[in-house]
Amino acid sequence: MLIGIDVGGTCTDAVLLRKDKVLAKAKVPTGEDLLGSLMKALDKIMEGVQPAEIKRVVFSTTIITNLIAEKKYEKVAVMIIPGPGISHEKYNFKTETVIVDGAVDYRGREIIKLNEQEIKEKLFLLEQKGYHKLAVVGKFSNRNNLHENQIETLVRGLYPDWQVVLGHRVGGKLNLPRRVVNAYYTCATQEKYSKFINSVEEALIKRGIGADAYILKADGGTLPLRASEKVPVETIFSGPAASTLGVQALVPPGQTAVVVDIGGTTTDLALILSGEPLLSSKGVQVDELLTQVRGLSVRSIPVGGDTAVELSEGRILITGKRKGFPYCQGGPCPTPTDALRVLNLIDLGDRDLAVKGISTLGLNCSPQKAAEQIIDEVVKIIVTEIQRMFLEWEQEPAYRIWELLQKRSVRPDIVAGVGGGAIGLVEHIARELNCKKLLPAHAEVANAIGAAVARPTVQLSLRADTERQVFTVEETGYQGKLNNTKFSEKDALDLANEWLNRQAKSLGVLCEIGEVEIIRQEVFNMVRGWHTTGRIFDVVLQTKRGILQYVEQGGSK
Amino acid sequence: MKTLKTGLVFFPAFDWSISPTHPEREERLLYTRDQLFEEGIMDLPEIEEFAPRLALKKDVARVHFCVPQVDYQVLKAHLIAAGASILLGEKVYRKEIKNGFALVRPPGHHAMRVVHGNRGFCNINNEAIVVEYLRHHYGIKKIAIIDTDVHHGDGTQDIFYHDPDVLYISFHQDGRTIFPGTGFIPELGGPTAFARTLNIPLPLGTTDEELHFILDQLILPVVQEFKPDFIINSAGQDNHYTDPLGSICMTARGYASLNEKLKPDLAVLEGGYAIETALPYVNMAIILAMAGQDYSYVQEPQPPQIRKSTKRFNEIKEIVTQLKDIWRNKDKINLNQIFGSEEYFQRKKSIYYDTDGFHEEQVERVKRCKECPGYITIDSKAVHSWRDSVKVFCITLPITACSSCQNEAYENYSDARNNRRYDYVYIQDKVKDVFISYNRKTKQELYLED
Ligand SMILES: [Zn+2]
Ligand SMILES: [Zn+2]
Repeated sequence: MLIGIDVGGTCTDAVLLRKDKVLAKAKVPTGEDLLGSLMKALDKIMEGVQPAEIKRVVFSTTIITNLIAEKKYEKVAVMIIPGPGISHEKYNFKTETVIVDGAVDYRGREIIKLNEQEIKEKLFLLEQKGYHKLAVVGKFSNRNNLHENQIETLVRGLYPDWQVVLGHRVGGKLNLPRRVVNAYYTCATQEKYSKFINSVEEALIKRGIGADAYILKADGGTLPLRASEKVPVETIFSGPAASTLGVQALVPPGQTAVVVDIGGTTTDLALILSGEPLLSSKGVQVDELLTQVRGLSVRSIPVGGDTAVELSEGRILITGKRKGFPYCQGGPCPTPTDALRVLNLIDLGDRDLAVKGISTLGLNCSPQKAAEQIIDEVVKIIVTEIQRMFLEWEQEPAYRIWELLQKRSVRPDIVAGVGGGAIGLVEHIARELNCKKLLPAHAEVANAIGAAVARPTVQLSLRADTERQVFTVEETGYQGKLNNTKFSEKDALDLANEWLNRQAKSLGVLCEIGEVEIIRQEVFNMVRGWHTTGRIFDVVLQTKRGILQYVEQGGSK
Repeated sequence: MKTLKTGLVFFPAFDWSISPTHPEREERLLYTRDQLFEEGIMDLPEIEEFAPRLALKKDVARVHFCVPQVDYQVLKAHLIAAGASILLGEKVYRKEIKNGFALVRPPGHHAMRVVHGNRGFCNINNEAIVVEYLRHHYGIKKIAIIDTDVHHGDGTQDIFYHDPDVLYISFHQDGRTIFPGTGFIPELGGPTAFARTLNIPLPLGTTDEELHFILDQLILPVVQEFKPDFIINSAGQDNHYTDPLGSICMTARGYASLNEKLKPDLAVLEGGYAIETALPYVNMAIILAMAGQDYSYVQEPQPPQIRKSTKRFNEIKEIVTQLKDIWRNKDKINLNQIFGSEEYFQRKKSIYYDTDGFHEEQVERVKRCKECPGYITIDSKAVHSWRDSVKVFCITLPITACSSCQNEAYENYSDARNNRRYDYVYIQDKVKDVFISYNRKTKQELYLED
């Protein structure tokens, strides 16, 4: 049996799955006492179940997202080794930022050495200002981590109690500014995150659950609880990922679907393309800073059931702002929820109040007609955004001819609605998009279902440079020597496979990885004069993404 | 008002090359990618990246006579590079972006009007395709193309040699020491477009400082006087001091300030083969300059060895003076003294296809019309390495052709169709946007539709 638990800001949801059936589900308020809320949710779904029957528990959480949003962490300084390039004035990370000399180039060759004296002086100044958390990131540190390691050694010697996070260990992809943000947030959240992990483990131990425990990442993959301590930012936005996976588990396999999650203040959109959730091509944005964290492509639009509706120059205006509850629930102004109530599409609040609310708009027509107009407007906003998402996905840059040529236009087959406002609106949205509508059963705990069925994913990006006889692993920041002058494309693939397995083992998911796909396999020559003097091999491997299983639609309304 | 962004199409075509050790190979933009991505260039709020689109065959046919057909000379990679250039050109013209840089491969400025094969790594001319596209779709009139590649852009010169509405200025290493061996001062355009072509041959070792002297004294004032509606930088980067093919000493920052001063609407990547030591830095500096950003932190790892030379600088001053005189007096010069007084100006050309190793012989004939820029015919013969000689006859009508030139052009077309000398006969009618080819062997006439 599988357990999925979504620890949200207001509610903690839990589900218990046996094969493809939802055996139990629970929804409890998330309190200050996290452990208490977790226990309550667990107890509700575990009634009559032996802890030994549980094979796996997966959590999704907005803890880190909230920590960052509310800035509940100690201050962190950032030390960058940018060398030549864009202006250093461009580095604005909303925190103390120190720039030091030194440079590495795109192939990982040291161009300018570090200046130890300069670094010592700058560290001293940071200490004076009361910092003891430091993120150190060099340009191209993913190709050569020498400078970052040297600085870490210096800090350890001078200030042993400082917490230091190095860029190459938390973000191996190219993009210095985003790598800085990854390192910065890692440094900021690690302590609190560890406390969360401890609560989770304690809850499981208290209920005698010895099963493997995982945490959901923004990209919809899972990480073992303990392994995630090194990269807490990866868990950011696991909420939307959970809901998308949840819907994926509830819609027929292989279909292209739009997930429309209509809440009180916002509507979140996600795409499932031919059965696979769409990842955003770049990292997610956190509190206005761009990260390297891979996330599902999720879009939030400021329209929900509680959005205030006004009249502007005789036309319906969906303001994008929430002023309180819907009129039918005693709120101050009419909302889309009131419109749905007037049309009897939902059964919420007082219909007479809803009619009254709609009438306050002063439209020259019956409340019925006015409600229809409101719904039309809301649907128009959502549909436009869905179409834009598909269009943007088609227009993603491509860097290879085959990639560009295989681009195609895809439109959804299904509109899957979750969330409070979905029931009344999904049908309209589906009609506009010429799709089938789907209101999955158990949608109210879709997040928890998504967590329960999420698959562990391991990706490995290897880059080998035979001229320099070195290789790097993007995901771990590892840097090794090749010691093989005849290193071939096959060797590169073998090495990547070896490291993928090593990575899976260290994450504790070796037995679950299943088939491995080659995402990219490329060779670039290095030519001096007219002779090939070396090759760069670029190999990316990935285990199958997605969900472990689909969930039966029994009891659907 | 919304500030517009700098548009970027980065299309390194990592799966296209001429051969594995050829300078124009897959990894040419590899390190540029690394540099741009690592710097987070695409995340800058001043920059927007776009996916390229494919140019249509018709977009190609509006410029070139591909022998025997567009399909035969043009691969998908070429259509993407041209399509990316069009995309950005169009977005600038529609004021959706401030300016654009098509960082694409393969290059194009050696591709001439008639295409029998690959010349200097080029098959089709990306800049020329943008020009004709913008003219056809938007009625844009005057265009300036500044060619900043170390090689003379002989293809672009050829295409616009008789076009009074296109100002083509090229600076490049002196043709006596480098491919394609053209681009001398006396090449000034034909009788209908005299001094709309200006060539600035650079002595070996020319530095940033000297180049900016040319820019400030000659290029910028001429461009300003010409008042183009659209400026294109044919942005070759092989003038860099580390380039293996060239011997000029420009730096990344020299290129950047050139773009800052020139303010091109569109830059299209041409050559540049120092793929590690120059391209990452030059490309980034140009992008920053076009986006109005500080590029003073961009610095190549190995600084240039600048050798001052009074002799070289005097030589450059002399070239500038000479060209300034020509430009100033262009309307006073008696063209009949240079070109004769015949109604049809004719010149013979021999063109070498270096990649494929064969020659093409051309007779080009221009009608010196009083009403319009005149139509052009080209009688071309090439011995392709893979077959016997191919003889073609091409007619091109400018978009502004007068009705009598249109009539004459079509008479020429039907005459040539009946002439057994030619294997293929083409007419490029830019007035009607109709492009027809006739295969004499099969007696089939083909209208290019898309
Ligand atoms: Zn060149
Ligand atoms: Zn005429």
